[in-house]
Amino acid sequence: MKKEKDSAESNQYITPQSSAYSKTMNIMMSAGFVLLAFIVFLPILLVVVISVSSEASVREVGYSLFPRGFSLDAYRYLFRSGNYLLRSFVNSVFITVAGNILGLMLMCPLAYALSQKEYKFRKPILLFLMIPMLFSGGLVSSYMVNTQVFHLKNTYLALILPGLCSTWYIMILRNYFQTTIPGSLIEAAQLDGCGHFQIFTMIVLPIAKPVVMTVSVFQIFAYWSSWYPSLLYLDSNHTELYPLQYVLVNMDRSIQTLIRDAQYMSGMDVYTPPAVMVRMVMVVIVILPVMILLPFFYKFLKTGMTVGAIKE
Amino acid sequence: MNKTEKKNKIKHTGKKNRDLTLMSLPAIIWYICFCYIPMFGIFFAFKRFTPKPGESLFTNLFVNSPWAGLDNFSFLLRSSDMPGIMFNTLTYNLLFIILGIVIPVFLAVFLTELHSEKLKGTIQMVMVLPYFLSWVIVGYLLYAFLATDEGMMNHFLTVFGKDAIQWYQSPKYWRFLLIVTEVWKSSGYAMIIYLCSITSIDRTLYESAVLDGATFLQRVRYITLPHLRPTICTIFILRIGSILNSDFGLFFQVPLDSGSLQSVTQTLDVYVYKALMQQANFSFSAAASFLQSIVGFILLMITNSIIRHIDEESSLI
Repeated sequence: MKKEKDSAESNQYITPQSSAYSKTMNIMMSAGFVLLAFIVFLPILLVVVISVSSEASVREVGYSLFPRGFSLDAYRYLFRSGNYLLRSFVNSVFITVAGNILGLMLMCPLAYALSQKEYKFRKPILLFLMIPMLFSGGLVSSYMVNTQVFHLKNTYLALILPGLCSTWYIMILRNYFQTTIPGSLIEAAQLDGCGHFQIFTMIVLPIAKPVVMTVSVFQIFAYWSSWYPSLLYLDSNHTELYPLQYVLVNMDRSIQTLIRDAQYMSGMDVYTPPAVMVRMVMVVIVILPVMILLPFFYKFLKTGMTVGAIKE
Repeated sequence: MNKTEKKNKIKHTGKKNRDLTLMSLPAIIWYICFCYIPMFGIFFAFKRFTPKPGESLFTNLFVNSPWAGLDNFSFLLRSSDMPGIMFNTLTYNLLFIILGIVIPVFLAVFLTELHSEKLKGTIQMVMVLPYFLSWVIVGYLLYAFLATDEGMMNHFLTVFGKDAIQWYQSPKYWRFLLIVTEVWKSSGYAMIIYLCSITSIDRTLYESAVLDGATFLQRVRYITLPHLRPTICTIFILRIGSILNSDFGLFFQVPLDSGSLQSVTQTLDVYVYKALMQQANFSFSAAASFLQSIVGFILLMITNSIIRHIDEESSLI
């Protein structure tokens, strides 16, 4: 029995014995991959270093991984610059959270219905979800419909609604519901007189937490990074709706607003760091949450990729 | 089973179906609003759109706008920018498809064999990070290297006694830069997809191959790659289906919309955006979108059926 378990484990993990690499080869390949990972990380590291470099250092050696001096002036400046930055940060968080929760509320029940083999409309709905993957009306018409039929221009809804559902996420959820939740459990619950709503909320959702997390992770990162809807649907009279990403797109204009805000707050000319430094600080503010969350989210990402690969 | 029991059962399944339909309904309404209603928009491509203010979109499109036949398409395809745009879109996409498969598979094959699980995990995490950054952020990361006065590249160039380069005014470097940026951003994520697939291979296959005297490369050739084939084919088919689409952010935001780089950064998606938002040329924009959709769909179907003939398990549909 124990032996069986051992061999099952060795199927999953590569041990020094089962690996194709000898000890020296392993050290060389590890070093190679560490170097590669460092090169991949380099641009991000560079921006972080720039954001804490002193202005004098940037003038002297440009953007460098080894600045001549450090300073947090740009950070201090941004945090003193009043509501504008805070507001856009809150906007980003709000859009991310709202989009994620609403998306799950739409997708999970549908995925559950599709996971029920005896459901009459299962096949037609699957087809209905597949068609938009192959064919879309294009940018012009979704822009026209969203602005003229749903009147989403210059609203938060424009940034939230169009990204709520994705057939791919629904498939991940459905595959997981189908493969990990025993049909006998659902039948037993039905015999006890539970309806589908109860089964879904009381039994399925608690078991399916990992996959719900997976979809959340993808959606959270997607909404946090989204800027294209803002570019399409927000105009320059509605800066109070801008998420962080779009503030960065519009940086030249935004810097002016920041300076005006800062002067207004302090009532006089304050020290203004170079605009580019302020941008780099904002880039760091956007990247940091992703970097902090990624290690926690990572195992859910892998669940998603494994479950998503199952074919119908 | 007597009659009443049967009736009850039908009633019962009827109620079950009703509950499940109720659960599906919200998402279905979303799909109708944001996927199906906009599909009517293909008519924009065949109309000369002349909206009258104060009337609804559909009246404007179907009643107030005259049919234009294929005029929009012929104007679009005859415009002098089009050959360049098509060339850019197709060459970038073909390169991205090839590099987007070869590099991640290569990395995954060699990363799997590392002894330390911990190191493997950390390397994956670092390499997938760029995938989750937006193109806006990537644009700024690149700017830190390429800025004319303070950028890292120009600093190195001047230290070594060379002239600084106006990167954002020099189209000749940008084909290379855009390709490197795309590979940097997407390789890690694709690598993890292949890694997950490799982990599901039964290791005893490798062990018996070793006993038979197979070298590492032979094991890759005869065990790993055949196992990855369905995944590779699925990704290949999907990418071929979007061969006229391109990442708008990469070609618009990363070069900071620099006018002098247009010859190498203008792709069909950038054209669609500019025609819509800057020139308000709805018909051209819609015609271009329609081309993207229909050409992509046809190519997807063709590729899929070719792959199905070669290896049925690897096809998508």
